Formats: sequence, C-alpha cells, structure tokens
Amino acid sequence: MTRAAPLWEFVDISKAYPGVLANDKVCIKLMPGSIHGLLGENGCGKSTMIKTLSGVQQPDSGQILHNGTPVTINDPQAARDFGIATVFQEFSIVPTLSVGENIFLGNMPRSRLGVIDWNKVHRDTARVLAEMDVDVSPDAITGTLSVGEQQLVEIAKAIAMDARMIILDEPTAALGEDEIERLHQLLRNMRSRGTAILYVSHRLDEVERIVDEVTILRNGRVVRASGETEINVGEIVSAMVGEDIGEHYPKERNATEDAVLEASGLATNAGVIDASLTLHQGEVLGLGGVLGSGRTEIARALFGTDELTAGQLTLRGKPVRFRREIDAIRAGLALVPENRKFDGLFFNFRASGNITAAGLGGLARFGVLNLRTEEQATHDLIRDLEISSQAEEKTVNFLSGGNQQKIVIARWLFSDSDILILDEPTQGIDIGAKIAVYRLINKLTRAGKSIILISSDHDELLAMSDRIAIVQHGAIKRTVDAANLTHNDLVRASAEAHQTEPTEVFA
Amino acid sequence: MKRIFDTQLIGPFAAMVIVALIVALTTERFLNPGNLSNLSLQVSIVALIAIGSSIVIFAAGIDLSSGSMVALLTMILAQMLKFIGIPLVLALPLILFAGGLLGLLIGLITAYGRIPSFITTLAALIAFRGLALTFNNGSPIFSLDPALEPIFYGKLLGVPLPFFYLVFFYALAAFTMNFTKLGREIYAVGGNPAAAVLTGINVRKVQTTTFVIAGFMTAVGAILMSARLNSGSPNYGQTLELQAIAAAVVGGASLAGGRGNILATLMGAMTIVIVQNGLNLNAAPSSVQNIVLGLIILLAVGIDMWRAEVSALMARVFGRASPGKTSAVKKEA
Repeated sequence: MTRAAPLWEFVDISKAYPGVLANDKVCIKLMPGSIHGLLGENGCGKSTMIKTLSGVQQPDSGQILHNGTPVTINDPQAARDFGIATVFQEFSIVPTLSVGENIFLGNMPRSRLGVIDWNKVHRDTARVLAEMDVDVSPDAITGTLSVGEQQLVEIAKAIAMDARMIILDEPTAALGEDEIERLHQLLRNMRSRGTAILYVSHRLDEVERIVDEVTILRNGRVVRASGETEINVGEIVSAMVGEDIGEHYPKERNATEDAVLEASGLATNAGVIDASLTLHQGEVLGLGGVLGSGRTEIARALFGTDELTAGQLTLRGKPVRFRREIDAIRAGLALVPENRKFDGLFFNFRASGNITAAGLGGLARFGVLNLRTEEQATHDLIRDLEISSQAEEKTVNFLSGGNQQKIVIARWLFSDSDILILDEPTQGIDIGAKIAVYRLINKLTRAGKSIILISSDHDELLAMSDRIAIVQHGAIKRTVDAANLTHNDLVRASAEAHQTEPTEVFA
Repeated sequence: MKRIFDTQLIGPFAAMVIVALIVALTTERFLNPGNLSNLSLQVSIVALIAIGSSIVIFAAGIDLSSGSMVALLTMILAQMLKFIGIPLVLALPLILFAGGLLGLLIGLITAYGRIPSFITTLAALIAFRGLALTFNNGSPIFSLDPALEPIFYGKLLGVPLPFFYLVFFYALAAFTMNFTKLGREIYAVGGNPAAAVLTGINVRKVQTTTFVIAGFMTAVGAILMSARLNSGSPNYGQTLELQAIAAAVVGGASLAGGRGNILATLMGAMTIVIVQNGLNLNAAPSSVQNIVLGLIILLAVGIDMWRAEVSALMARVFGRASPGKTSAVKKEA
C-alpha cells in the first residue's frame, strides 16, 4: 500500500499544565481513509491531544500540519471549518430537541426570509440517517431514544457537517454489542470514503477489531507510534502500562460448593421475567447478555430496589425477602452500580464519607458517629486497596475513575458485605486500574466473599467469571462454566434473542 | 474540632468582619453598647430560623414557608394565651409541637408525595398566611401575657437571653450535622439522593426529618417574635423565609445540596443583620434595604461560582507578598 500524504500531522506538540507536562513532543500522522487508534491510561495525555486538535486549547510549542501546511486551530469553530468533528465522551446533544434540531444545532439552514428552513432540516437529516442506515425519525425527541441511538445521532452531526476528520472519544462506553457492530460498520464506510478517524477507547478487544494503526501514549509521550505496533492486545497492554504486567486477567479460582444465594423464578415490573441463579461461596458468577437484556434489572431485583412480583430468594438456605435496599444490605448484600457518577459516589464527601455511607450504623452509638474510627478505617482501606492518598483530604471528584471505583467497592468492604454485585465495575477506567479491580475480585473471593459480575466486556466476563448466566429479555436462559465458553459463543448467545425475534413475528 | 471550624468558615467570617468594619467606620452609633445589644436581639430570630432553612438546604430542599409559619404560630399562641386561657408554660411547648407538626406535614407531602419542596413550601407560604388571617378576624392580638416579654428581653448575668438561645441551638445543630448519623445522612441525601438510596439510607425519612427540624426552629422563632412584641399578628414574619435562606447562602451553603456549614449560616445571618442595621442607623428606607439584601445574595452566590477566577485574581493582586491569603482561598476551592 502506498502511503498517501497525511491529512493532519502533529510535529513535536507540547502542552504543559501547572505541574504536569501533558503532551511532551507528541508526533502523530492521521491519514485519510484510516482508523487510527489512540491508546493509553488515564492521564497519559490523550484528552490533551484531542482538545488541541479540536481547537479547545492551544499547544505551547510544536506545529500542526494540515495537508502539509502549518496551521493554527484557534477555537472549536476553526476546527469545524477545517472539517474536524469531535464526538466527546459526554454527549453534547440536547435531550428535549428533535434529532434534526440536534444535528443542525448552531448551524440551522435558513430560508431567504431568515427563518429556519424546516423542510431542509428534515430532508437533510433523513438523508444523513439513511446514509448511516439508522432507523430513527428526524422528528423523534432525542431524549426518548436509547443511549446507543443518541450516540449515533452524535455521530450523525459529524457526518452532516461533512467532516474530513472525525475524533471519537470512547464512543462505545454506553453501547451494546450490536450497536457497537453498527457503529463499526459506519466507521468502515466513512473510512472507505476517505475520512480520517481518530478512535480513542479503553476496550482493547474492539480496538483489535476496528483499528488500522495505533499510537500509544504514556506520561505525555508517544511510546509506540503509528505503524510500529502490531495490533496485538498483549503488546498494547504492556506498552501502555510500561511494564510486562504478566497476566492481563489474573483470575484465581476460589469457588466452593456451598450455595450462599439462590434465586428462583424472580420477576419484577421493571423487566425481570424469570431469573433463577445459584451463587456459591467464593464464586464469581457472570451475567452475560446484550445491553438492555435485563442484567442490571436482575441486580436491582436481588438488592430489593425493585419489588418482586414472583419468585423466591434464599440466603444460606433460609428464605428471605428484601423489601428495600437496607434489608439486603443488612443481610450482607452490596451493589456497586453501573454508573458510579450518578448512583455511586457522594461528590460532596471525601473518601471517608463515601466509604462509610453504607455502614454508618456500625460507626454510631446512640446516633453519634465515632469519627476517629472512621478516619482509621478509611486510612486502612485506602492503603489496602491502593487508592490515591489524596482521597483522604480531598472530595472524591478530584480522583480518577479507577480510584473512584475502588472507593465504591471499599464502601462495601467497610460495611462487611459478603455478596457483592458488581455492575460494569471496569467501565471507563484505564487498564492499570482494571487489573487492580481484578486483583481485588480475587482478594474478595479468597476471603470467602461471593461476586455477581455484570460486564459488557466479553473477554473480561469470560476470564474473571467461574460460571456465566446468559440473560435474554429479562430471563436467565442457562448457566454454563466460563471455561466452556468462547468469546464467539457469548456473542452468539447474547445475540440469539435478536435473531429469534423476527421469526417469532413472522411465524 | 478540625471539621467544624474548617475552611468553609473563612469566607463567611471574612465577609462578616469586612461588613462590620465598613459599617463601624461609616456609622457613628454602630459601636454603641446599646446598638450592639440591639443587634444581637435583631439577629436572633432570623438566625434561629436559618438553622432549619439551612438543614433543609443541606438535604437539597428549600423551605419558603417559615415566614408565614411564624405569623400562623404567633396567632395560635395569641389565641391560646388571650382567648382560650391556656397557661404560658403549656402554650409554649404546644407551639413548638405545632411547628414540628406543620414541618412534618410539609415533609411528608414533599418526600412521600414526590412534590418538589419549592412547590410544597410555596403552597404553605401562601396557605399559612391565609390560615393566620382566620384568627381574630385577621386582626393582630396584643398584650398577651406579662410573662412572655422576658423570654426575649430578659438577661442572664447581664447578657440578653436570645444570645443563650443562639449558643444552645447552634451548638446542638453543629453537633448534629458534624457528629451524628442523622447529620451525615442529611449531607448524603443532599449530595446524591440516588446513591443514598443504594447505600440503604432512608432518603424520604431523612428529607422529612429536615422539614420537622425546620418547623420546630420556626416555632422557636415565632415564640421570640411574639415575646418581642407581646402580640400575635398575621403580618409578622414577611420575607423572613428569604432572609433565612439568604443567611444560609451568604454562609456558603450550596442550593444544590450536600455542601454547607451550619456555623457559617450564623455568620451569614449576622452579616445580613449588620448591613440592615447600618442602613437603619443611616436612615435608609426599607426599599434600599431590600435592594441591598438582593445584591448581597447575588454577590455571595457569585463568589461561590467564580471561586477559581477570584482566587486567580487574588494571586495576581497580592502575588507572593501574602501567600497566606491566596492559599486560604485555594484550600477552600
């Protein structure tokens, strides 16, 4: 393949923040018609690069070349004029507006009278959506769409502005397997039309599938440049972390034969139809299935959040009924929710307030808290779980995603839970922190605690679970040993539902 | 102790001192012992009610009802003392109980009826005032009981009694917020209600409790109001709820919930009263007082929102000459 000239090129770009050199002489070449993976742990300088390229900030030194000519990207509007579209991790769509309005927001086509040309908005939106093969009405209110569809609307904005270069920051964090596939197909189409794509992701399995070339950053420097690295997960991981971390998934098998939690025929009004499972002491039971298959809802049913309309829960042989969360917590259950920002953390508290939130009863005597015990316990957990020691003094919004996740888990260690439900515990955290979470899972099961693991990362689910329950449409179809499943089995098992659905309709 | 006297107090304390200095320098009579004593009397009612308003705000609610509740409770008290003939020692606990009960009602409707507290307490603001007018054909009731006035004007060891009420209730509130399970749960509910539910905190109960506390503290304020004027009136307490909320905001409480310090509310209340006092002494009309109160609230929230810019500005203005000041601001941010 003859190498065409790069569309964009960074030459020795440096950017410093107070106390940190975020980008240190970074060079990167972005080719038209190529999907370029940008990888690295949190804090490695990826975001800084994206911000520079999208005009949000200016580099301290170095050159940006556009088709070989040095240019400056003064502000986001300038980036747009250069044909650069950025899809940030946090959506920038307005949920109360229609799909069409969102796509043309800030750039509404106007008729000669100066009023918005709604016909054109509608027509162009329909055209872009058809081009993307997305079956969404241009008039649909964006907030009513699924998260995956909202993500596609976000990308539609980029296509509508005819971007020559599109930057995607963690585009699949909120997507299910089939939605990821659809996104990838879309990116391949864009690639074949000559668009340059910069793809940032923590999900290495999907990087392997889609990306043409890879640049890896560590501590603000390029450690592997385009073309140097074979797209091989093992090598990528060690390049990112900077050491040979050995096993990516350090799984220990600590499962015993003693059943601690049994559920039979659970159903709720929130979408659980028929969930039966048995969790053994020291076991990691994975829940596999597509986004929206009902895994999170099963967790909520077990935790007493949603009322059971049918079924029975048995805890160590005794039937139990959790009317609300506190009953489940007192019985030793814990839920680490999928969205730690919205459902997990108290950003107004330091580590201590977050860690003791579910165990205040044990800390209080006649309602008065023993703050010295609290500080000591927090200190110990921060040390044991290798959480940043800043957490003791600062509120938790200053911490990285990995540290935040460990704090939520620490909360349930403090409250002495022995059955932990971990819902997407490694979502959006970097590879080093992921491995720390895996080691923590080992440590917990070794201590006789049992874990229900929900994860959309199939490799992680397969590697870290002892057994996997396949969830479809709110029901657990079957439970199999993780060792007997492959990645493909899991994808197929998860997708089965989608293939059977139409036949049911036509039958 | 580190926790109560934390950095959250620096800003409100500085604001209070600066305001007091300005008023002292521009107004001759401000530092007269008579005026200072008057000041402590003036601040007492709004500061006591502000305890409840702040605690509701810490739990991410808002209480607009306290001013009207004061009017209603003074009328009930007057009715009991003057027309029903209930003795004072019995009437006072009944008023405190009634305040708690009204708070409970608001709390239950808010938390279990899932109606935003802004709406429930706005409804209460209007309805309580109306209810107060149903007593005595809507006319004030005067000369209630000779034993009532000393509750407000009495002195112990030469110090006005309201000073002791302030010390007692603020100490109790500071203890509750900083050292008890309830206090922690209030901050947790205000910080992230969804997370509070998933950690087993009974969010609705906590929210309801904050309104019971607010109702009780409003009753304390209502008793002082009646004692001060030896009367009950459906017109008492107008805009008192806004002054109490302003005290919390000037004290740095976040209206989004979860953040704030109860002792800072006391400083906020004092700041507001000092400004009002200064304007009074200079014979400013009440219209000007309201305009100034509005500007103070705006400034207090503004300083909170523009913290980063303010600290950068301080760093530029003071440079390295006074590292103490800039670091104090940074710590707070």
